[in-house]
Amino acid sequence: MATASSSDNGLGRILQFDPLQSLVDEGFWHRFSSLKLDSLGLDQSPIPLTGFYAPCSHPKVSNRLTLLAESLPPDSKDQLSSIERVQGNRNRCPVPGTLYNMNTLESFKALDRDSLLKMEAKKILEDIHSGKVEEDCAVLSRFLVISFADLKKWNFLHWFAFPALVLDPPAMVLNIQPATDALNQQEAQSLSAGMNEWRNSSLTTDMPFFLVSITSNSHATIRQLKDWEACIDDSQKLLFGFYDPCCRPDNPGWPLRNYLAFISLRCGIGKILFFCYREKHGFPDLCLSLVGEAVVSPPQAWRDPHGAPKSVGWQPKPRNISLAESMNPERLAVSAA
Amino acid sequence: MVLSQKLHEAFKGTVERITGPRTVSAFKEKGVLSVSEFVLAGDNLVAKCPTWSWEAGEPSKRKSYLPADKQYLITRNVPCLRRASSVEEEYDAAGGEFLLANEEDDDDDGWLATHGLPKGTKSSDEEGLPSMESLEISKGGAIRSIPSYFGGEEEEDIPDMADYEDSESFVETDPATLQSTYIVAKEPEDDNILRTRTYDISITYDKYYQTPRVWLTGYDESRMPLQPELVFEDVSQDHARKTVTIEDHPHLPGKHASVHPCRHGAVMKKIIDVLISRGVEPEVDKYLFLFLKFIASVVPTIEYDYTMDFDLGSSSQS
Repeated sequence: MATASSSDNGLGRILQFDPLQSLVDEGFWHRFSSLKLDSLGLDQSPIPLTGFYAPCSHPKVSNRLTLLAESLPPDSKDQLSSIERVQGNRNRCPVPGTLYNMNTLESFKALDRDSLLKMEAKKILEDIHSGKVEEDCAVLSRFLVISFADLKKWNFLHWFAFPALVLDPPAMVLNIQPATDALNQQEAQSLSAGMNEWRNSSLTTDMPFFLVSITSNSHATIRQLKDWEACIDDSQKLLFGFYDPCCRPDNPGWPLRNYLAFISLRCGIGKILFFCYREKHGFPDLCLSLVGEAVVSPPQAWRDPHGAPKSVGWQPKPRNISLAESMNPERLAVSAA
Repeated sequence: MVLSQKLHEAFKGTVERITGPRTVSAFKEKGVLSVSEFVLAGDNLVAKCPTWSWEAGEPSKRKSYLPADKQYLITRNVPCLRRASSVEEEYDAAGGEFLLANEEDDDDDGWLATHGLPKGTKSSDEEGLPSMESLEISKGGAIRSIPSYFGGEEEEDIPDMADYEDSESFVETDPATLQSTYIVAKEPEDDNILRTRTYDISITYDKYYQTPRVWLTGYDESRMPLQPELVFEDVSQDHARKTVTIEDHPHLPGKHASVHPCRHGAVMKKIIDVLISRGVEPEVDKYLFLFLKFIASVVPTIEYDYTMDFDLGSSSQS
């Protein structure tokens, strides 16, 4: 599978990750506009967001991180309860993010995007060291949005980043293949049943990182990240699983990057078996899901829990959306006439 | 929006305010659903096709007759690989009319006509269903093409990319980032990745018609909101601008394309009658599977899940 090239040193090839895609629902900007007009005013303080994603569920279409109206913090009591309800929805795994909205185009352009990204990368490294990741694995996949909301023209310029710690040297992939090829039939069946149970339980359904422990008699058990020590002790085979939004047959999705950092730093494993979990019609699809093996050596700089690790993650371009047609009262009046 | 449609919306709103929701089942008699039957059928859809989920929506738009956490159903990121207009000739093969194959010459059913222009949609007086004529939107009249709808005249506001190209935190300069090699849907399909339109599809309960109602929110190949007008390209030409119209969504902000529910009850009644005539006892919790199968004839290229091989009900024959 790995194509030989001059960069090969007998280890395989560089493991490449498919960048996460983003989508902003119109409702997000509607609610942001009223929040801005009613309570934020000229305040440019960062705003905490909750983005949502789910495992890939179509062989040709990747899933994406979505911002909805509910992604913004609640502005009154009656919305507090709706945030609670968001938990336990299998199609909405929450991811913490931060929005920096600027009042002018100039200040948007002037934002120091490199240092914003570094700040997020620092948080990720700290959460790995402190053990916070084991309590709330969603913090591994943070995201950033910078925006300039022109409320006079109903124009919303925004730019996403999905911060990822950079392994130097990069992770090398030894093999990556459909889970049905990597596992024997009994293992695959047991894993499929285990994932069904995991996804059907409201306690675990939106927990995107997990462990798959497979015993010598091919029985797979799905466990939470906090059980990693016990799993290393008693399993014949340990797979580090995650909800993979990516649909590609030869590459894992973006969330694996920080996961590899966690596994190598926290669990001290250098040769990592990972499991990219994907679905079809909402059910486990082990033909589409991948099992891979990668060699990872964490950079020395990561040993410092308060260091500033090298990171990547800005999407190539800002995006602009104009909602004049649905927000401008004048145009609305014309189209309703 | 034409005046008659606006008048009807106002009338419908008033009726909805002063009448209570249906509580007695008329599923087999009229093809309609009570509120509790809608919730039951929705629960079953979510259980069998987990890409669908219930949502609470905006608290201010909440309907008191529905459970707070079960206001509407939604499935997101549904691919639509081809435009409906380009597959019109293959339309006969699309789902929806299969149940009614032995009733093809029944002229009372503009919904499932698969050949040529839709037949005249005569007013059906039974059950107080309003006439389609009063709801039709004239072609090309009320809805204008709006080139500036989503991004168009704002180019001067986008920062110059040259300002940013030196940034080292770009994914492009990182060897472990897979560089995008997406293709667009019209190119040869030997690549595994497609750039395609996607839809968020939601189902609300229409209290006036006492049936589910389907809403389409489209996104283009680069995941930007699709101008509602362009959604018509993904609607069977028999239905575009007639039964599919652009209206305010009851739970979400903005205008969305919707399949108008005025004929839903009659069509569902017909499907149920066919099932009964074949010795199948239809069950109300399967309503949404039948309903979505019928909606597939309106939007033949949007690949949402409704379980292909479901059990329609308890069969006394096979």
